[in-house]
Amino acid sequence: MMRAIRTILLLAGKDLRIEARSRQTLALVIVLGLLIVVVLGLGLAAGQKTSPTAATAILWVAYLFGGVLCFEKTMGVERQDAALGALLLAPVDRGLIYVAKLVTNLVLMLGLAAVVTPAAVVLFDFDLSANPAGFFTVTLMGMVGFAAIGTLFSAVVSSTRLQGGLLAMVVFPLCLPLVVSSTQIMIRLFGEARPLTAHDVGLLGAFDAVYLVSSWLTFEKILEP
Amino acid sequence: MVSEPALQDCPSQTCGAPAVRAASLGVVLDERPVLRELNLEIAPGELVALLGANGAGKSTLLRALSMLIAHEGRLELFGQEVTKDQPDLRRRIGLIAHQSMLYRDLSPRENLVFFGRLYGVDNPAGRADRLLGEIGLADRGDDPVRTLSRGMTQRVSIARALMHEPDLLLADEPFEGLDAPSTHSLQEWLARLAGAGRTVLFSTHDVGQGLALGRRMLVLRRGSLVVDQPTSALDGERILQELTTP
Repeated sequence: MMRAIRTILLLAGKDLRIEARSRQTLALVIVLGLLIVVVLGLGLAAGQKTSPTAATAILWVAYLFGGVLCFEKTMGVERQDAALGALLLAPVDRGLIYVAKLVTNLVLMLGLAAVVTPAAVVLFDFDLSANPAGFFTVTLMGMVGFAAIGTLFSAVVSSTRLQGGLLAMVVFPLCLPLVVSSTQIMIRLFGEARPLTAHDVGLLGAFDAVYLVSSWLTFEKILEP
Repeated sequence: MVSEPALQDCPSQTCGAPAVRAASLGVVLDERPVLRELNLEIAPGELVALLGANGAGKSTLLRALSMLIAHEGRLELFGQEVTKDQPDLRRRIGLIAHQSMLYRDLSPRENLVFFGRLYGVDNPAGRADRLLGEIGLADRGDDPVRTLSRGMTQRVSIARALMHEPDLLLADEPFEGLDAPSTHSLQEWLARLAGAGRTVLFSTHDVGQGLALGRRMLVLRRGSLVVDQPTSALDGERILQELTTP
């Protein structure tokens, strides 16, 4: 177990080091996220206060599109110069490669959320203080499920000639139940001022479990050098 | 040059087994047979040259032997049949491919240490430093790989493949992009590896180089093995004839 954790940290650490060195993904994703928030915010509620419902929906749009970009970029690093081949040659369980990529994508998505969410709070006068723990929990659980599917399909799409946009077309429909649930819970938290319930957490947890297990089991079968 | 440590431990029943044994080996890519009915045996410590025209299947054979792609027929490495996920077997294989298989935003040292850790190499930083010295890149060890020339990148790629001291080194045109001194160093290096009991199979387009360096030569034509003989029994003209026969 410790060995598996060390391997995951080694692989994810390598990805994050590459990101820190190149600064390609996070900067791009944050700019995209901010653009989405600003453009949709201005388009939906020019000159008037944005409702919590609209604010949470806009935030999720930013997370989703930013997330897809993260998935493409982190898997693209492995395709450059066929580095993935060297990884597959190594005596490493492919399931651990999947978990490490998932961790990397989650860290980058949380980085996106750390910048885009405060921007939305200011821009939309969105009162996050009503339930910050609920917001954080729903966002994190939604991101885990979304990243689970996105990480899997980024490996599939990156090995085909049909890149650029295909990932979003595949991942968004698959994640629709999770995204709709997350958004509905957010609307209840901030639009209707209800607390986060065990049922809400259980529902998102069930989605996460299904997405994680099915993706982890599938990943090693579809990963090709 | 490299001082070679002892070969990795092997289970008693597989010690003394051929490094490579293939029976009716085939590979199908995109529904097209690329390798057909290959029968091959390579003993530990052999230095074997692999020749063939473009598209003959050299790279595919090396990738199949490195367990990167699926195969048909029977393939054994060090006496163990290659099935699916065999980390212990993977640990004994090194591959130098057409592409560098390096992370271009990391430095050569970071790449080597990373792969060393993946393979569980003792003191990966020390081993990386030693290899960087061997390939003459100690002073460029901390620059990103993307800033290195083609030849330098190739040398780092070779160091990556040797980082975990593999018992079987598969090299796909390893001399491509190397200048004359680096080519000479690599030739010495490969000969020394074989001398230390490690098995080396390298592909090349240069018939003269294959004959001079290899102790044995394999020639592939359209996915089939048409020559498998000691280089001492071959001459350049015969090889060229085999290569150009339609």
